[in-house]
Amino acid sequence: MKNTIKNIAALFLIFIFSGSLANAQGWTVPNSAKKKQNPYEATSKNVSTGKKIYNLHCKSCHGDPTMANMLPLAPVAPTDLGAQNFLVQSDGEIYYKVNKGQGAMPTFEKTISDEDKWMVIAFLRSFDKNKKVKQQVAEVKNPEVTDVKLELNVNEANKTLLAKLSGVTKKGKRVGLQGIEMSFLVKRSFGYLDVSGEDPYTNEKGDVTVQFPADLPGDREGQVNMLVKVTDDAFYGKLEEARVVTLGVPTDPVNPLDERAMWGTRANAPIWIIVTFVGGVLAIWSVIFLVLFQMIKLPKLAKSKD
Amino acid sequence: MNDLPKQKETNLSFEKIKKDILHPMQNHKGLELWIVFLITVISVCGWAYYIQLKDGLGVTGMRDYVSWGLYIANFVFFVAVSLVGMLISSILGLLRIDWITPISRIAEIIAVAFVAVAGLVIVLDMGRPDRVLNVMIHGRFQSPILWDVTVITTYLTVSALLLILPMIPDLAICKKELTKASPIMKKLYNILSLGYINTPEQHKHLHKMIRTLMVLIVPIGLAIHTVTSWLFAATLRNGWDTTIFGPYFVAGAFVAGSAALIIAMYFFRVNYKLQDYITDLQFDKMGKLLVAVCLVYLYFNLNEFLVPGYKMKTGDDIHLKELFYGNWAIMFWASQLLGNIIPIILLVNKKFRKPLPIMIISLFVLAGAWFKRYVIVIPTMLHPHLPIQNVPENFVHYYPSAIEISVTVLSFALVLLIITVLSKIFPVVPIVETAESKGIEVKIDA
Repeated sequence: MKNTIKNIAALFLIFIFSGSLANAQGWTVPNSAKKKQNPYEATSKNVSTGKKIYNLHCKSCHGDPTMANMLPLAPVAPTDLGAQNFLVQSDGEIYYKVNKGQGAMPTFEKTISDEDKWMVIAFLRSFDKNKKVKQQVAEVKNPEVTDVKLELNVNEANKTLLAKLSGVTKKGKRVGLQGIEMSFLVKRSFGYLDVSGEDPYTNEKGDVTVQFPADLPGDREGQVNMLVKVTDDAFYGKLEEARVVTLGVPTDPVNPLDERAMWGTRANAPIWIIVTFVGGVLAIWSVIFLVLFQMIKLPKLAKSKD
Repeated sequence: MNDLPKQKETNLSFEKIKKDILHPMQNHKGLELWIVFLITVISVCGWAYYIQLKDGLGVTGMRDYVSWGLYIANFVFFVAVSLVGMLISSILGLLRIDWITPISRIAEIIAVAFVAVAGLVIVLDMGRPDRVLNVMIHGRFQSPILWDVTVITTYLTVSALLLILPMIPDLAICKKELTKASPIMKKLYNILSLGYINTPEQHKHLHKMIRTLMVLIVPIGLAIHTVTSWLFAATLRNGWDTTIFGPYFVAGAFVAGSAALIIAMYFFRVNYKLQDYITDLQFDKMGKLLVAVCLVYLYFNLNEFLVPGYKMKTGDDIHLKELFYGNWAIMFWASQLLGNIIPIILLVNKKFRKPLPIMIISLFVLAGAWFKRYVIVIPTMLHPHLPIQNVPENFVHYYPSAIEISVTVLSFALVLLIITVLSKIFPVVPIVETAESKGIEVKIDA
């Protein structure tokens, strides 16, 4: 009870504070912190990494940048981090706020690494109208292509996956697309497991090779549902390839309902409980029936007197 | 018992005993009115049950949080009261305590009536009573529900047998003496008396059967209330998650049952004019027994509330504070004080163990016992395991609806009707056993 009240009181205070303070204007950042610059370049690789981290840690409250689909918290909803009035702040200011948190905004000082924080800021900067030009200076330039295709080759012997991203240029030539991040996802019970590894970016031929983990359990035959996609839909739209591959470790699934247990079905009741119950019922009721049977004898005993 | 004062030399003869005990069975004065009253109550409340059956359990006050409400509290109470049959006629009977002879049949009648209706209360609590057999067909051996259904059926059977078997000699007398009884009743006496004419062989055979059942009902009686407690204790809920719930319930059942028996004894003594049989001695002894079981129950209550109250671990603290000085404080302390502690203090005085005062005290004990079950069942249900967001207002409070109260009144009326009918068609005081205990020769003609 005490804890519940404390929690409720804390939440209440958080909301009051967030009402007065949790906006760009009311949140003062020390001048020294403001001057900090993002040490990482706004490469497309960094931006897409930042997007991943953003989706993991920020999206649940702030929604998608520029979409204004944040969580409708009262009294003050989280800011749209893609909005221009947020992005007028310096990198250092955003970095400081992510670290410290305020009101309903938690601190990420220890939960996210510095590098990841800067990646998120790089991602957010990609929405900044004033600095957009700078962002588009990517290190690789792919030609304009149509009919983008994602091909997937599975090498079951080496447990490797080879994805090839290609498109047709204006001249009608199919070329590989370079420097695009791919996601290699394996379907698990709840959602997907990312097995892309450290560097899932296409090379100059448009190829990316990923080593499938050696110890990932599959079904009885070792099959897993593989989903390979271009991580960021912004480049060529939604491109993905789903396939059942036999790369997992063959595993017999353990269904907790298959064993004899207290939570099991009646057929899977523990032996001792069946024996106790049935035995008890049989013992008691056989005595009852014995007595009922003895009752029949009573009238006969009256006759034997005569 | 050796410390018993020697029975006063009475001028009772076998003929007088027969006449005294059989007289109320032939005298219907006022009884029709009482039965008509009970049947009216049952019909009116039966209409409430019809509405519940037609519209579903939504007409009750039960919602997602409190899914066990008034009905289950009442069920636990009925099971508790029915345990008096096992306490009086079996445990004390096996110990050969002789003052229970005139009241053992009342105890058995109470046991049969309450356990029969307890089973019915469970059916009344069902949204789809037509599916009740599924418990037997598809019931899991792991589920306390299946155990409960099993032990209640068994206890009802054995209690009914323990009511009928010791009554066989009396029924043989009824068959002979009640010449003005209706043909149906005569047939009933004829069948149930099983041609008993009190031959030594029959006597011996009958008592062997009775003693077998008296031993048998002890584990069943313990099981019925222990299993009822396991319905609660087998969960992880605060207030129910305790290891002493089995014996705690059994002790509480003895309290409720003894109180109910004292009340019934008083009414039969006055209305059936049985002052010569249900004497002050029986009330005095029952008073002492009630103090004894109340003390045991008090001891369990101390353990049940003091130990977790000392620790106040998270979860338990919400529950206990609600009981000790929260919303449930009045009901909790009233049931503890009026239903247990004050009766103990009063009943250690001899003058409060006279029939009228002890009957009034027992009314408080019985009411306290009923509210105690209510306090056991509902406050725990009001605190769900997991907090749910945007809970509708009517989930977090529980007030029994008029329909629920009516159906509960129905169950009480039904119990009273069963007791009334059983005590009308059967002699409430054992004729033969009473005569035998007073050393009067028994003659049953063929």
